[in-house]
Amino acid sequence: MSNAMRTPAGAISVESYQGAVAEGRFRRLWNANAPGYLFLLPWLIGFFGLTLGPALISLYLSFTDFDMIQSPRWVGAANYVRIATADPKFSAAMHVTLTYVVLSVPFKLTFALLVAMALNRGLRGLPIYRAIFYLPSLLGGSVAIAVLWRQLFASDGLINAALAQIGIEGPSWISHPNYSIYTLVALSVWQFGSPMIIFLAGLRQIPQDMYEAASLDGASKFRQFYKITLPLLTPVIFFNAVVQTIDAFKAFTPAFIISGGTGGPINSTLFYTLYLYQEAFGNFRMGYASALAWILVVIIAIFTAFSFLTSRYWVHYDD
Amino acid sequence: MSLRVSRRNFVAGGATLLSLSALGTSALAQETRLRLLWWGSQPRADRTNKVSQLYQTKNAGTSITGEFLGWGDYWPRLATQVAGRNAPDIIQMDYRYIVQYARRGALAPLESYMPAKLNLDDFDKAQVEGGSVDGHLYGVSLGANSAATVLNTTAFKEAGVDLPTQATTWEEFGRMGAEITKAGKRKGMFGIADGSGGEPLFENWLRQRGKGLYTADGKIAFDVDDASEWYDMWAKFREAGACVPADVQALDKNDIETNTVSLGKSAAGFAHSNQFVAYQAMSKDKLALTNYMRIKADSKGGHYRKPSMFFSVSAQSKSVEQAVDYVNFFVKNPEAAVLLDVERGIPESAAMREVVAAKLDENGKVALAYVSGLGDLAGKLPPPPPAGAGEGELMLRNIAEQVGFGQLSPADGGKQLVTEITQILARG
Repeated sequence: MSNAMRTPAGAISVESYQGAVAEGRFRRLWNANAPGYLFLLPWLIGFFGLTLGPALISLYLSFTDFDMIQSPRWVGAANYVRIATADPKFSAAMHVTLTYVVLSVPFKLTFALLVAMALNRGLRGLPIYRAIFYLPSLLGGSVAIAVLWRQLFASDGLINAALAQIGIEGPSWISHPNYSIYTLVALSVWQFGSPMIIFLAGLRQIPQDMYEAASLDGASKFRQFYKITLPLLTPVIFFNAVVQTIDAFKAFTPAFIISGGTGGPINSTLFYTLYLYQEAFGNFRMGYASALAWILVVIIAIFTAFSFLTSRYWVHYDD
Repeated sequence: MSLRVSRRNFVAGGATLLSLSALGTSALAQETRLRLLWWGSQPRADRTNKVSQLYQTKNAGTSITGEFLGWGDYWPRLATQVAGRNAPDIIQMDYRYIVQYARRGALAPLESYMPAKLNLDDFDKAQVEGGSVDGHLYGVSLGANSAATVLNTTAFKEAGVDLPTQATTWEEFGRMGAEITKAGKRKGMFGIADGSGGEPLFENWLRQRGKGLYTADGKIAFDVDDASEWYDMWAKFREAGACVPADVQALDKNDIETNTVSLGKSAAGFAHSNQFVAYQAMSKDKLALTNYMRIKADSKGGHYRKPSMFFSVSAQSKSVEQAVDYVNFFVKNPEAAVLLDVERGIPESAAMREVVAAKLDENGKVALAYVSGLGDLAGKLPPPPPAGAGEGELMLRNIAEQVGFGQLSPADGGKQLVTEITQILARG
């Protein structure tokens, strides 16, 4: 930098002078920020090496026929064309996944909000209750819980034992095509812990004096909830809704364990990710599976963009 | 704040690292390391690891690292490792996948090592042939098994029903099943499992009709009538209460733990003979093995002795010769044979079969007696299934469930199965 300053301006071209200045600025910035980048290095390596790199490779593979053993063969848009026009399993999987998202997200959020409100009444031992209610979320994705679910909802499971007491003979819920998806929705709702914690934090942000003023004016509890709690909680609801929707689209483990990887009976639990997995690792169609993955990325992106676009009509920010 | 590493320290540190890694490579140079990958449960792992240890004590300088997974996780792992040029040296291979892996150049041809390094002289010729693809040997059979019916003899006795014999037909078997269900000695127990979605059963039934699942050139080997009649037979069983209802059958994840016999939901179910020991271990009742039923009194040849699994050697292996030596040890060493027992099926080598037979326990004897006593029920080994056979198997089950839950008639089910499988095979 200092060298460039001493050189007479006329002796070098304008571009190289500007280049030198820019280079100098870059070096100065680099010197100031190098330690920061150094500390970021593990994350940067992880992001470029394990996330961005593979994602770009999968984008390339989605235009190929790749069986994982021979080299990929370029097929243009053939995979995407087949998905759009000639793949009944794609539409079956899409149908199952959308049903799951549309049912599980609202139920889970409502349930999480109800529990958060119940816990927000200045209970003694709140941290303990909070931990207990959070527990299912920690265990939720695990194989053991999926196995437990089979025990609960099988033909001779706990649910049917309870129903038998009132004279109802229930089917094997988990292995009946008409009901199996609902048992998975129930499993998802049961894992309400993480949105609940966030709701709880949101509820505590609402100033108490608003409620006091409202009760002085004679507003009922329900009216207070509707006029104060809900509007002030909308940013948290919005956040939870977006995160849970993305999670629901990506759900995999419960269906994989419960159906033994088949998505059965009769494709009733064929989640999109499960179909993707079958194509990739069951049928060795890595190129086709990559195309399926990118379509899922686009669908999730559209849903998220839609949420953000509509959010200004219903999300209330303080500032 | 800034982090500074002086040039001198950096060089010193680097040199230390380099010298350490040099130590590593020199140690490696002295011994051959073989990696071994298989699917199976813990008991199989214990047996396999003992054989590896035995091999290492007899071959100083060779170390063997074994790794195992369940069937479902195994194939993704193997495919990933092969794609990453990181395949294990010795690969447990299945009849279903050997063609795919061999044709794609992932396996090393082994015939050039015979007979000096790999001696299969006293193997059953047809079983050796089962490991060949396009005239090259890619897999050494680790044992023979056959599809089988598992019977809960205690439940049959309680219901007062005689056990089926080698002469029993499907029709008679259906009547037995209905009687057991009607006797109602145990809550929630039906006569037989619903086998309509089971590929080995369907194949056996087709073979008795002189057909099969796939032809040698990878085409469909049955027609709409075959498939419709098959689904229809099971629909009648379901109606008569001879077999379990569709929602109970759907609990079966195609493994030993969730089979309806293991769950106590049926008195008879369908499996493979080498699994008998594991089935008996899961049940308090006395179990027995028998064949799949005949269509008519004189129909034969549905069964076949199948190589239950192979050892293949990776084409990427740096020590193919050493790997072949290990495989030879695995199938030909008497001490290894005793350790392995019949857990991977009946040994293919006549000499090893004698060694093992002398030491078998009661359950092992059941499996051995069953496979060697098939008589006219057994026919020739079918050609290895084409790529897409895995999808075909799922499709057979999917349509069986649609028929079972009353969403499709058996006739439409048969039509749909043929259409779908033809499409799957065309896609490859």
